[in-house]
Amino acid sequence: MAKKKSELIVLCCENSAYLAAESLTDTKIMQSVKVVMLPCSGRVEVGLILKFLENGAAGVLVLGCPLDNCKFVRGNYRAQKRVDVAMKALNDAGVNKDKVKIDFISSLDTHKFIALVKEMKSTLF
Amino acid sequence: MIVGEQKPFEKVYESVKEYKKVLILGCGTCVTVCMAGGEKEVGILASTIRLANKQNGIRMEIQEATVARQCDREFFDEVKDKINWADAVLSMACGVGVQFCSEVFEGKRVLPALNTRFYGTTEQQGIWSERCAGCGDCVLDKFGGICPIARCSKSLLNGPCGGSQDGKCEVDPDNIDCAWQLIYDRMKLLGCLENLEENQVIKDWSAGRDGGPGKIVREDMVL
Repeated sequence: MAKKKSELIVLCCENSAYLAAESLTDTKIMQSVKVVMLPCSGRVEVGLILKFLENGAAGVLVLGCPLDNCKFVRGNYRAQKRVDVAMKALNDAGVNKDKVKIDFISSLDTHKFIALVKEMKSTLF
Repeated sequence: MIVGEQKPFEKVYESVKEYKKVLILGCGTCVTVCMAGGEKEVGILASTIRLANKQNGIRMEIQEATVARQCDREFFDEVKDKINWADAVLSMACGVGVQFCSEVFEGKRVLPALNTRFYGTTEQQGIWSERCAGCGDCVLDKFGGICPIARCSKSLLNGPCGGSQDGKCEVDPDNIDCAWQLIYDRMKLLGCLENLEENQVIKDWSAGRDGGPGKIVREDMVL
């Protein structure tokens, strides 16, 4: 669970985004970023996202496999729906819903991983 | 099971925000199965309220707990200290649980977080639909196991109305099947279509809501 206020939590599917993150050569971008590996983006829970934010995380970025390319068939679609519910809860609570974002990248998309983390950090910090 | 859904957050928040110590109490039976008021939903609601409190500068201590059932007295034992600690209990049980919690802990403010909707079944994960109206005089034997009281929008007992089109109900053709089409198809499948020719007399509603709140006393079981 996040302890520092300045952390961006990146929840990565182990089959795609996590592999993309592992291929990073320049780790500077990863300052204030905590990567959490999930067996599938479909493992993301609304409560988990909210708990990270409640405990002080600056934002949560969920990265799953490209749509229609999930090892568990529909995990990434499920993740999308749960992120939508988390965003609604944030909206209800009066919190900026842009603190949560989901995107879909393959294991080869290290450049996209960097771009998404940079973009999210620039929004949050 | 009893099927419920969460009240809009703003209504729930409005009802609890004046309290300093709040226990969010889930129920581990029906509303856990219909994903409205179980342990997971307690966590989500607690986090949302804490985030809202931060935004609004409200100081509130929140505890979370879930008991097996809020409609049976013995399950409150494990959370009685938490209930006594709280200024208010935000119950995520059905209306029965909310009332019973309030009854067991007289003088404690117990607030509902759910709207109780119906007795229903899980059609598939995430989809629940009504099956029983609790009328107190079951007629399922006459209609092939499909209840015209709960599932016909007009609770008709002697065949469909003129609003049945292509197996759908005129009240909401996209979402409601005509119960009488379902009954006809089921009776045909069961080979007892001719039973539907029997006219049903006016239903005795005295076993249902008529006569005030229901109560059953089993003398052989009373201690």
